[in-house]
Amino acid sequence: MDYSKQIQDIAAKLFTDGKIDVFVGYRMNGFDDNQVPAVITDPKEVSTLVFTEKSVFNLSNYLKADHTRNKRVGLVVKGCDSRSLNLLLTESQVKRDKLYIIGIACEGVVDDKGQKVQNCMECIIPDAVVYDEILGTPKGKKDYIVNADIKALAEKGLVERREYFEEIFENCIRCNACRNSCPLCYCTKCCIDQETATIYNGSNTSSSAFHALMTWSLHLAGRCVDCRNCEKACPSHLPLHLLHKQNEKVIFGNFQNHLAGVEEGDRGAFYKYSLKDPDDFIM
Amino acid sequence: MARVGVFVCFCGANIADFVDVPTVVEEAKKIREVKFAIDYKYMCSDPGQQMIRDAIVQHRLTSIVVAACSPRMHEKTFRKALSDAGMNPYLLEVANIREHSSWVHQKDKKAATEKAGDLVRMAVAKSIANEQLHEISVPVTKRALVIGGGIAGIQAALDIADARIPVTLVERSPSIGGRMAQLDETFPTLDCSQCILTPKMVDVASHPYIELIPYSEVIELNGYVGNYKAKIRKKASYVNFKTCTGCGACWQKCPVKVPNEYNCGIDTRKAIYTPFPQAVPNKPVIDAEHCTMLLKGKCGICAKVCEKGSIDYKMVDEVIEREIGAVVVATGYDLWDATPYEEYGVGRYKDIINSLEFERMVSANGPTGGVPVRPSDGKVPKTVVFIKCVGSRDKAKGIEFCSKICCMYTAKHAILLHHKVHDSRAYIFYMDIRAAGKGYEEFVNRAQVETGAVYLRGRVSKIYQKGDKLMVRGEDGQLGQEVEVEADLVVLATAVIPYKENPALARLLGISYDKYGYLSEAHPKLRPVETAKAGIFLAGCTQAPKDIPDTVAQASACAAKVCGLFAGDTMKKDPMISTVNNEFCSGCQNCVQVCPYQAIVTEEIPLGHGAKEMRTVAKINEGVCQGCGSCVAICRSMAITLAGFTDPQIINEIVAI
Amino acid sequence: MEAEVKDKIVSIEKPELVAPPDWKPVIMGILCNWCSYAGSDLTGTSRMQYPPNIRIIRVPCSSRVDPWFIIKALQTTADGVLISGCHPGDCHYISGNYYARRRFLVTKELLKMVGFHEHRVQYSWVSAAEGAKFAQVVKKVTEDVVKLGPLHLYKKENFSK
Repeated sequence: MDYSKQIQDIAAKLFTDGKIDVFVGYRMNGFDDNQVPAVITDPKEVSTLVFTEKSVFNLSNYLKADHTRNKRVGLVVKGCDSRSLNLLLTESQVKRDKLYIIGIACEGVVDDKGQKVQNCMECIIPDAVVYDEILGTPKGKKDYIVNADIKALAEKGLVERREYFEEIFENCIRCNACRNSCPLCYCTKCCIDQETATIYNGSNTSSSAFHALMTWSLHLAGRCVDCRNCEKACPSHLPLHLLHKQNEKVIFGNFQNHLAGVEEGDRGAFYKYSLKDPDDFIM
Repeated sequence: MARVGVFVCFCGANIADFVDVPTVVEEAKKIREVKFAIDYKYMCSDPGQQMIRDAIVQHRLTSIVVAACSPRMHEKTFRKALSDAGMNPYLLEVANIREHSSWVHQKDKKAATEKAGDLVRMAVAKSIANEQLHEISVPVTKRALVIGGGIAGIQAALDIADARIPVTLVERSPSIGGRMAQLDETFPTLDCSQCILTPKMVDVASHPYIELIPYSEVIELNGYVGNYKAKIRKKASYVNFKTCTGCGACWQKCPVKVPNEYNCGIDTRKAIYTPFPQAVPNKPVIDAEHCTMLLKGKCGICAKVCEKGSIDYKMVDEVIEREIGAVVVATGYDLWDATPYEEYGVGRYKDIINSLEFERMVSANGPTGGVPVRPSDGKVPKTVVFIKCVGSRDKAKGIEFCSKICCMYTAKHAILLHHKVHDSRAYIFYMDIRAAGKGYEEFVNRAQVETGAVYLRGRVSKIYQKGDKLMVRGEDGQLGQEVEVEADLVVLATAVIPYKENPALARLLGISYDKYGYLSEAHPKLRPVETAKAGIFLAGCTQAPKDIPDTVAQASACAAKVCGLFAGDTMKKDPMISTVNNEFCSGCQNCVQVCPYQAIVTEEIPLGHGAKEMRTVAKINEGVCQGCGSCVAICRSMAITLAGFTDPQIINEIVAI
Repeated sequence: MEAEVKDKIVSIEKPELVAPPDWKPVIMGILCNWCSYAGSDLTGTSRMQYPPNIRIIRVPCSSRVDPWFIIKALQTTADGVLISGCHPGDCHYISGNYYARRRFLVTKELLKMVGFHEHRVQYSWVSAAEGAKFAQVVKKVTEDVVKLGPLHLYKKENFSK
């Protein structure tokens, strides 16, 4: 999977045609073989753009930044990225007519060791769902797979699970990197920063981490697209995907196979309901 | 610093027997913010309220907690006491220590006292976060919009207008009158439908407080109770109503023949037509779908014969806007299409008709001059089979509900048939006879005795043709054997279904409808004429199948509701509604999706102070918001606050104990 | 040692946490105003008895319940949470409880995964006529939570209240 040349050509053409002001893609980080996001405004820099299986970040996150807001943006999105982009469109955060989207029929990205990452192995919708042009051969939708870690956790005992998660909450340093790196956390003022939310928590205790992470994951429930930007950003390397994947599993299984951002106009699972929703857990 | 006063009630022995009230007072005094705490035998009595009023002044209290019975009982009483003392009434909190403590823990006084102490602590904590709220008063536009000019709409419009409230009556067809105008005689008194309806129609047209807009449709409704804005599309009639005298020369000369809707398509009308002789307004309209002048630009006969020059082929649709305060929806019903009943040969045999077609035939002003005839050969039928519950009460093919009126009108049809064709005989297949109503059972008996109508309890399984007769095979459940009737004519009492465009209308109005398309009332028993949207009311068969007396009663009830709504110049509204903090709102508009009342709209505000670029934020219409808090809980950035139940208030309660 | 532990009430999620001898569980009840709160009032007026551990908070509608109320309650004061609203189709605000129901299920399952017994957070539909049902529900929830032992997720001293 190497679309570097195609993306460079498209970006160059977009700039010469005057269709975009900014292009958001990937470039090499300059000291090893990993990549970093590239926000390009100068057409001369187009040649630095790359796209390989090392292009791990979800670039739709950069649409909420000041340097792209209200500008015409060219953007590269993989399958999962395009779903979060779809949600941003649905939730009126970006305007479709200001975007030129290069969709990728993604084959999965790899980690530092060259291993295919877990979310790509379990990926259901590898192809971009919203795009102006698509690179690669679309592979179509796959069956839903319950996350392996969630399965393993479910088999563990209550005591073990509690211990495991208390450690996670203890290790959280409340840096908010997870929130900041999430493309769907665009709130002007995040609830976990607000006085009403933190006043009874202290600022850097495992209790406040419990509150913050739980609330955060519930705000992303039915919206999270499993891009794992949060996990990549976490300095404590916490397995944040566990929270999201658990919610995704419950929502997919119970609410008419709802998956976030697959169709434009489809809001998160909490903003609609069905009369057929499960009711047996309620007395 | 908050200064809270706590007032604990004995409620006679109701609380004091099972909760140690002085201990609760002592516990309350330990709370930092509580500056005054006292108990009394009956807090809701005058001296009790006086204690509250005095303490507010004396101790400069900033909020009040009354520990007594359920807030559903006396919250209003104590709020009034607060405002009498010059304090904002919404600074009150009630700790429910009777229903939630003393009455439910009668065996454990210690635990009940402890719990009462906790409930007081929670109420105190909440009251600290209470804010001053003010009743919202919403101005009212005193004009009602009635949608539908059938008997329901006519009655509602007349009753409202008689209270000197202006009414705009919108009717889709060229004349008001609706289904009732199509009926011959009405059960159970057999008085002539036209004779009782047409005077009312004339009243509508001549009433100084009624503005009749026929041949038009409501296309938009915005706003909220008391302050709606309606857009009404007046279809082009191609006839200038101001100059037209209704002489009828035009439609007599018009060469184009079109199936006549008023007579269920049994005969024809012209392309320029008045629906029926007694139409109100009695002015013709041109049917643009069939007029050759409008379609091909040739003909123009009506313009030539019109002495007044009232025909205007260039007329276009017009959109009228009205500001209104309340809406009465009275769109009426249609009959269900019985085609799914294949075994009856519906559509195959000409001599199977529905009951409205039969009604038109036996009408004195009907297409056959009041005598029923067979559509196939025009002969007068001698044996007529009526089949009830066609489509009704039939989950498999039709609709689950009972159409309510068929039992009665079928009995009426049997009597009318007997009147028109003396040597005829009616056979009626039925499931049950439902004749609950004043004089209804007697009427059915009359049909059976007077006309000799044969009531056969059972379903018809098959209808087939034999010669020029229709053989109706069914079951006589009472004899337990199969019967076969040789019929000249079969009349199906098909199910009553709502007006087909009800769902579209409901979406336009922002009200809900059920799976059949009937519009939903706010409460099936206690609020049968209101919808869930304030200021929109339902009359007649738009809500459920009804006969004329029920329809008229409901229409008058709507009128009473509208008059009640318009009694003052403004409406008072509970201040416990949501508001949006623009600073925090990220404009995702998920709240717009979740709001059950469409109370949330969006507005554009500058991106920053003095910025040119705009951003979208949610805006709550305080007239519409009912204060459920759905939007608050889903707002991720906590930009929405529900007055009276804010996050700080609830969190204070949670962490208080 | 073994026998001693058996006599004491131990948190089911954290066996090293032993309840003090005077431990009484606290259940935080969040009830909707129109059905469940009215139902709980009816329990009172009918003088039906239930365990005194529940502390009731009134909200206009079950849809007002933000999941972080539950998280907050478990974090601070409560050993169990009961949330109750109108039966499906009976919501005073037309559709509030349907939205609430979705959030409740996801919250419940998430809490279960991070190590809370599923009986810590329970839901019920109680109508204004179901005073007896409310008493039963409270009884069941209280009994369940007593079995689970204290929660004490994070010590109360950690909070800068």
